[in-house]
Amino acid sequence: MKKVLIPLLAALGFVTAAMGQNASFKKAYVNHTEIGLLLGNVRYVPYVGSGEMVEKRQNLTVQMFNGLQLSRRLAAGVTVGMDRYTAALVTPIMAGVRYDLTRKENARFFASADAGYGFTWFHSDATNYHTQGGLALNPGLGLRFGKPAATNFTLSMGYKYQQVTVDKPPFWTDTERTETRLYNRLALRLGLSF
Amino acid sequence: MRATRLPLLLLLLPVLLLGLASCNDRCEETRITRRFTPVTLSLLELRNDLKTEAPRAMEHPGKIYVRDKYLFINEVKEGIHIIDNSNPASPRAVAFVRIPGNGDMAVRGNILYADSYSDLVALDITDPTQPKEVSRVGEVFKSGMFDGGSWNYNASIRAINEQKVEYVTETVTTNCEENAVNPGWWWGGGVAFLMADASFSRAQSSVAASAPSGGDGKGGSMARFALYDRYLYTVGQNDLKLFDVSNPAKPVDFATVNLGWGIETIFPYKDKLFIGSMTGMHIYDNSNPASPQKLSVFEHLRACDPVVVQDNIAYVTLRTGTACTNAQNQLDLVDITDLTRPQLIKSYSMQNPHGLSIDYPTLYLCEGQHGLKTFDVSDRFGVDKNLLYHMKNLDAYDVITMGKTLLMIGKDGFYQFDATNPRELRQISKLVVGKKNGI
Repeated sequence: MKKVLIPLLAALGFVTAAMGQNASFKKAYVNHTEIGLLLGNVRYVPYVGSGEMVEKRQNLTVQMFNGLQLSRRLAAGVTVGMDRYTAALVTPIMAGVRYDLTRKENARFFASADAGYGFTWFHSDATNYHTQGGLALNPGLGLRFGKPAATNFTLSMGYKYQQVTVDKPPFWTDTERTETRLYNRLALRLGLSF
Repeated sequence: MRATRLPLLLLLLPVLLLGLASCNDRCEETRITRRFTPVTLSLLELRNDLKTEAPRAMEHPGKIYVRDKYLFINEVKEGIHIIDNSNPASPRAVAFVRIPGNGDMAVRGNILYADSYSDLVALDITDPTQPKEVSRVGEVFKSGMFDGGSWNYNASIRAINEQKVEYVTETVTTNCEENAVNPGWWWGGGVAFLMADASFSRAQSSVAASAPSGGDGKGGSMARFALYDRYLYTVGQNDLKLFDVSNPAKPVDFATVNLGWGIETIFPYKDKLFIGSMTGMHIYDNSNPASPQKLSVFEHLRACDPVVVQDNIAYVTLRTGTACTNAQNQLDLVDITDLTRPQLIKSYSMQNPHGLSIDYPTLYLCEGQHGLKTFDVSDRFGVDKNLLYHMKNLDAYDVITMGKTLLMIGKDGFYQFDATNPRELRQISKLVVGKKNGI
């Protein structure tokens, strides 16, 4: 139990921990590239008076974190991704951190957090549809396999939140029609970091 | 991996499963939609309701008409704002004429013609602050549309059956896909579809240029009223009515020409009449103004389409949207040298074109929410390459050029621009919808 608690406590106090690193550490460039799936459901009422429907959703996600290893545990940088939702191709650009919860093992836990904005530059809209991006959040936990200094293989899971709004052509009695989408997904990713 | 790490992994598994079960996308579609309520209004009532009132704020501006220094802005279904525009930098509202069921107007001399549901009313505007009803041609229009709601005349009880239109906001959950899954529930049926289609033009604000002759004002590209020679031409949904106005104060119901379905606009140019319908552009020879003769029809996909004409080229816009489905957003240049055989010159893609106005070689084109565009059209095959100016961040429905000034109306208000340099329109004034400016 103690072994479980220590990393969790470390996560809570990671800022203070990050400051208490020894001086011999040298800052270095870090890259963490991941590919994975965004899994979730959608529940909706297709028309007034009908029952609720549930559909499964699984979408491809790729992302690349580029940053600086600021301390032995903490790396900060920019995460750029590409999330292919069923009806939106979103390019999130987020500020990101990667923090190692455990040390020196060949399999180490790490926490990650990314927050930013998802753009729809590469989404192609149907005629008269206009898709716009929004807030993107992606906290997660993962496992790193490999020696601390070498290229690591990673497995991670996290929560992915993405806002999207779509202006749609109005139907015949409408004057305006817009859709707001909040994607809430479980993100499972495989990756490499070096 | 060392065995000591296994408990941690096991701890994560339930979190993972929980995550899978609870991650739901939440998507909602919000639409502002029209709701129709049937209303009956007697002829006695609507005739009694015609009154001149103090100026009031614009709420739902419709068509615009210009006569000398006065502007007439229709308040859809309610009446007409009369605005003194002797100083374009600060237009001043002088009166509001309450005319139930009004959508169109035209002015000759001191007489303002306006529709009031089934009736055509003539008002004396010698004193624009006090317009007076001088005559009325009763029960001439049988049906019409306002803002998606239709009305028709019920001769047996001498009343108007109409639909009151309200805007309501509806929110439904969706599956986060491009289109909602089941289109069945909002589709009121085919009949309603066509009905709303026809209506939209009527609700449109509209202005464009028809050549003004002695004492006549200037109407828009989506006007349904036009003055020519001794006659006032009015287009209904499927016919053209002629009123003899040789005595301007006393219009007389003169003739009716059947046009077919979905008629929207009339644009007299020289001795021709260009009639915009949802299926195409009709060209009528008007050399005998008492009896227009059909020359040809330029057919296109069903769309809303104001027309303006300059020399031997007609500029026709088509747009998609609310009521005008099944079409593209485009500007068509049509060669009308041979009026019996109009010929397409070139189609240009647009965003959502509404009204237009031409001051050759400058074409002003409203793009709805995408703003106002100015083109040089002297190269008829290169209009798209000659975009002079694109004014964004305003809603543009219809526009009328007065040479040096430009009048434009949109959902948010009525604008006047200095158009001395078509590359750089300069706003002179604006009357904001919902505000008591200019009063």
